[in-house]
Amino acid sequence: MSNLNSLQYFIPELFLTVSILVIIIVDLFLKKEKKVVSAYLTALALLVAMALSFQQYNFSPASLFEGMVVLDSFAIFFKILAAFSTLIIVFISLPTFRDKAEYYVLLLVVTLGMFIMVQVNDLLMILLSMEMVGVISYVLAGYNKKNLKSNEASLKYLLFGAASTGVMAFGFSYIYGMTGHTNLYLIQQALLNNNPHPLAFFIAVVLILAGLGYKIAMVPFHFWVPDVYEGSPTPITAFFSVGPKAVGVALFIRFLTTIVAHPASTGLYDFTQNIPIKLPELLAVLAVLTMTLGNLSALQQKNIKRLLGYSAIAHVGYMLMALVVFNGNAIVAVMFYAIVYLFMNFGAFWIVETITPKLKSERIADYTGLGYRAPFTAVALAVFLFSLTGIPPTAGFIGKVYLFSAVIKEQWYLLAVLGVLNSVVSLYYYAYVIKVMFLNQPENNDLIEVPLYNKVLTWVLLIPTLVMGLYWNPVITFTENSLGLFFGK
Amino acid sequence: MVAFYIVLLFFLIGMLIVGITLVISRILQSRKSYPEKYIPYECGELPQGEAWIQFNNRFYIIALIFLIFDVEILFMFPWAVVFDTFGMLAFIEMLIFVVILLVGLAYVWAKGDLEWVKPKPKLAHLAKKKGA
Repeated sequence: MSNLNSLQYFIPELFLTVSILVIIIVDLFLKKEKKVVSAYLTALALLVAMALSFQQYNFSPASLFEGMVVLDSFAIFFKILAAFSTLIIVFISLPTFRDKAEYYVLLLVVTLGMFIMVQVNDLLMILLSMEMVGVISYVLAGYNKKNLKSNEASLKYLLFGAASTGVMAFGFSYIYGMTGHTNLYLIQQALLNNNPHPLAFFIAVVLILAGLGYKIAMVPFHFWVPDVYEGSPTPITAFFSVGPKAVGVALFIRFLTTIVAHPASTGLYDFTQNIPIKLPELLAVLAVLTMTLGNLSALQQKNIKRLLGYSAIAHVGYMLMALVVFNGNAIVAVMFYAIVYLFMNFGAFWIVETITPKLKSERIADYTGLGYRAPFTAVALAVFLFSLTGIPPTAGFIGKVYLFSAVIKEQWYLLAVLGVLNSVVSLYYYAYVIKVMFLNQPENNDLIEVPLYNKVLTWVLLIPTLVMGLYWNPVITFTENSLGLFFGK
Repeated sequence: MVAFYIVLLFFLIGMLIVGITLVISRILQSRKSYPEKYIPYECGELPQGEAWIQFNNRFYIIALIFLIFDVEILFMFPWAVVFDTFGMLAFIEMLIFVVILLVGLAYVWAKGDLEWVKPKPKLAHLAKKKGA
C-alpha cells in the first residue's frame, strides 16, 4: 500500500504522536501544583489509543508503507496489550512521579515504539523500533538522576543494549547478503527459492537471537536484568518486566514465522522451517537454561526487586519453551500467558511499590510479619506470588497449563518435565516470601496504613488474577481470534 | 556468493597494506627526541595550561539542540529539490516535520535551556556538600 493510503490504517500511532506533542506543550502552561494533569492526559491518550487499536480489528490484514509494517490481528492484540500495560504503569507511577510530565511523555514515546515493534515487516523497521523502545528505556532506567544505582542501571542497560543491537545488525547484514532483501516476506521467499548454505543461515540467526534475546532477557543475554531491575525506579522496573518484554516476544514470534519458518501446507498455523537448521533444539536448550538459571539465582536473593527480576527471567524461559514448537497453539498460549503475566507481575511490583516507602527497605527480611501489619496487602502479594508460581485457582496456573499442553502435544516431553521441575523450584522462593510475611512474628506490631488509592489499584490487578484462574474462556477466545498473521509485501 | 569473496579479499589486502606502510615508516623514520615532540599538537600554537580542565556542561545541551536543527536542515535539502514534483503534499509534510521540531524548540526555550546561564539553578544538594 502506498504511503498516503497507509495513513488511515495508522491512526493509533498518529494519535499517540500528536498527544505526545500536545502533552509537552500543555505541561509548559501548567502551574507547579497542577502538573498532575499531564499524567491524566497521558492516561486518557493511552485509553483512546487502545480504543482506536481495538477498532482496527475490522480491517482486513494489510501491509502498510510499501511493506515496511503490517497490520494484522496479531499486531493489534499486542498493541492493545502494550497500551494497557503502559496505562497501568501510569497509575502505578502516580504516587512517586506526580508532577513529572517528561516522565509520562517518555512512557508515551516507548508505547509508540512498542506499537511499531509489533507491526514490523522489514529488517530496518526491527532495528528502528527496537532502538526507539531501547533509547527511551535507558533514559527511564536512570530517571532518578541523583540515585547512583539508577545511574548504574541506565549505563549498564545502555552498554548491553548497544552491544547486542550491534550483533543483531551484523546478523541482519548476513541475511541481506544471502537474500538481497530487507522485507521479511521477500526474505522468506528468497530463502525458499535460493536455498543458501544452512551453516551460514544458522550463524546469521544466532547473531540475530543475540539482539532479540537481550530484549526479552533470555539467557545468556540476561546479565543486565538484575542490576537494571534493582536500580531503576520500581514503576519502571515493573514496566520493563511486562510491556517491552511482551512486544519483544511478539517480535520474536514475527521473526520465527517469517525468517526462520513459513506456513506449512498441513494446517493454517503450522510452520515448517525455511532451511532446516537445528533451531528448535537450540531454542529448547536456551529455554531450559533461561528458566533454570532464573530460578536458581532467585533462590538466594535478599532484595525483593532482584528476586522479581530473576523470576522475570524464569518466566521468559516458560514462554520460550512454547516458542520451541511454534505452531498456532503455542503462539496462542504465549499470547494468553502475556495477558496473565501482565496482571500478576504488575500486582507483585505494585505491592512492592506500596510497601517500600512504609518499610523504607526492599529487603525480604524486612517483610517479616507483614501479614499482621498490613493484612490485605500481604494477602494480595501472596496471591500474586502464588499466581507467578502457577498454583490453582490463580491465572498463572491456567497460563502455564496452556504453555505446557502446547509443548506436550508436540511430544517435547523432556522439555515439559524440565519446565514443571522448574516451577517446583520457583515455589520455594515465592513461598519463602509468603512464609516470612505470615509465619514469622514481627518485631514491631504497628499497623501499616495503606492509602485507599493503593488498595483500589491492588483490587484492579487482583480481580483479573483470580477470575482468570476460574473463568478464562472469554480471554482465551479473544486471544484465539487475535491469532492472525499476515504474510505479504 | 562470489561478491563475498571479493569483500574478504578487500579486507585482507586492506590489512596487509596497513601492515606494510607501518613497517616502511618504521624502517625509514629517523628517531630523534626533543622537548617539543612531547607537547600536545594544537595546530602549531603552544598549548597553555592543563588539558584536564572543567568546562561548562551546558556546551552539551547547546550542542544537542544544535544537532537537532542541523539534521532538520539536512532533511530540507532533498525536500527542496523534489518540491516541484510533489507540490502541496510535500509542503504539508515538511510543515508537520517542522512543527514537531518547533515543539521541541518551545520546550527547551520554556525550560530555560537557551539561556547561557540557566535561570534558577537547582544546586541545593551541592550547597549542602560544601558546608559538610
